[in-house]
Amino acid sequence: MSREPTDAERYPTLSEAGRAMLRFMSEHPSAPMLRNRSGNRLLAEEVEDLRAYEREVAAARFAWSTRHAPPWLDAFVDEVFAQVPHYRSLGRPAGFAQIATVGRGDLAADIAQFVPDAVPLDRLINFRTTGTTGHPLILPSHPLVAGRYLAFHQRALRRAGIELRHGRGQVGVMLLGLQRKCFTYISVTPTMDESGLAKINLHPDDWRDPADRARYLDAMQPEVIAGDPISFAALLELPVRHRPRALLSVSMALSASLRANLSERFGCPVLDVYSMNEAGPLGVYDETLDAFVLLQPRMYVETLDAHGHPVPQGQSGEIALTGGFNFCLPLLRYRTGDHGVLIDTPEGPAIAQLHGRQPVRFLTLDGDWINNIDLTHALLPLPLSRYTVHQAANGDVAVALARAEMNYASEAANRVSAALRGRDIRVIELTSEDKVLQYTTDLPGGMAA
Amino acid sequence: MPAGPSLERLLRRLIETPPDFLAPPWRGGEGQVRVAAVVNDVLAALDVQAPMSLLATLSGELKAVSAEQLSLSAVLAWLLADDAWHRFAKASPALPALFAEAVPALAAEAHASRYVFEPERREELARTAIARLGLTPEGETASQAADRLASVSGVERRRLLEASREAEARARAIREALARKAAEESADKWTRE
Repeated sequence: MSREPTDAERYPTLSEAGRAMLRFMSEHPSAPMLRNRSGNRLLAEEVEDLRAYEREVAAARFAWSTRHAPPWLDAFVDEVFAQVPHYRSLGRPAGFAQIATVGRGDLAADIAQFVPDAVPLDRLINFRTTGTTGHPLILPSHPLVAGRYLAFHQRALRRAGIELRHGRGQVGVMLLGLQRKCFTYISVTPTMDESGLAKINLHPDDWRDPADRARYLDAMQPEVIAGDPISFAALLELPVRHRPRALLSVSMALSASLRANLSERFGCPVLDVYSMNEAGPLGVYDETLDAFVLLQPRMYVETLDAHGHPVPQGQSGEIALTGGFNFCLPLLRYRTGDHGVLIDTPEGPAIAQLHGRQPVRFLTLDGDWINNIDLTHALLPLPLSRYTVHQAANGDVAVALARAEMNYASEAANRVSAALRGRDIRVIELTSEDKVLQYTTDLPGGMAA
Repeated sequence: MPAGPSLERLLRRLIETPPDFLAPPWRGGEGQVRVAAVVNDVLAALDVQAPMSLLATLSGELKAVSAEQLSLSAVLAWLLADDAWHRFAKASPALPALFAEAVPALAAEAHASRYVFEPERREELARTAIARLGLTPEGETASQAADRLASVSGVERRRLLEASREAEARARAIREALARKAAEESADKWTRE
């Protein structure tokens, strides 16, 4: 068992002001239970690197369109084939289009094969993801990579006319979850002069008094609130008076009605960010274009058919990614499982008709709605390669498992049944060999928000 | 992996190695073939500047460098002087490593003359040169070329085994690094997907 990290490792550049901010967030009378520890882990020189990176991303323009590939593509592919074990073993084909695509299943099978030789391992971190295709994944990352997210959020916010200005003594961002089990902690953002960062769970079980949720948000006054449609739907129910400067919604599709409700209630832009653990923030929704404008000029996006061939222009295809800012996991024709139509805009490429990220709620036997993430957590201890959960219009629930994993049927049924507070669960065999939509429902209220 | 020269052509070239190249190399004040000069000329013809360290190694002044290594360097220089390489290996940064890394391993296995006179050793030398330059013999796929080289070359088999051990050790280290508590705690992102 490895040792517990120290605060010096979690916050290497922490000043007295940063320490005071941590105390402010954790010792407030309305503060939630913070169940975990984490930090920015950024070394002083990395903070400087990040500031430069933020400037670079702010100024970067897209050098590719739906009609031509980026000029950096060839050199990037060369490097991946030279440095990444999975690709080195395949040998580079003559053309980019002949490079075999990879998906979550490939990464899940052995993520080590996708980490470049040159990546030092001493400061590797991981992000766990479950996604919608049923392959649980542990993704390699680095504090610098995690820090780079902010550069793309700033790019998205700038489109909405917002320049972040919070700094010392203020809370920069509050990340909201609404799950039975949620990773919660506090930190500071060194590139923003140690403004506060709090990741909290709106689930009442995480608070001494559920009314503290609104009090805490009002006391912290975060400049930005980040969350997903499920936690934002819960936020709307709270008597919060604070007005953040923007809301960032990630992880799942945000409906137009929820966006409008949030925007009206909080009087600020609500940014729907298309983001995934494997790639970071990819695009931000633009209402005028009715499309997600891409945010990463160093990420090449293709739309592919079932055989891995690009679909004709204007047609919907599976979104595949090449490039990115995670130097621990360079992507090469990575199939996301999401679909959309790639279009050109004056700002660069964008994805229209994006789908594949619908959040799903399940109805418990006693009439409560729970998030699909809670079912993911319930099944996490089982070594399932993939599975689906479907709730029929009458409330009946079926779990489908791969044939080779049917020996876990009774345990899977027990776990899902417990999460759904005693519902009977039927376990069936998963027949689809290809991508599966993990969570589906026929209940009218199941498609959250 | 891009296609390189024809294997048959290179094998023929080796059969036709002039006896001078197999004459005793200049070493410790004796011998005939000035290997450093020969190698320098061949690399220069391929637009590659020979590193000083390589020229020192092949100068014949270092006791630790065997006569077998020097002779095989001369034979390899003869092989690389074939016009075929101009199309495939011009300015290749991998050329000096052929002399610095592949030749010592091959020379430790057999005398240079065997790489000229024995069919299987000839094929080993020609295939090693093609493979180390990141090419495949004309008409072969990457996997055919890799299989054939491993079947004729004990050096290659050992190299592959070592590479596979190293790759496994690295993969294990990555898995362990990802499982550390510090990695599990992760680090700040302004949004969590």
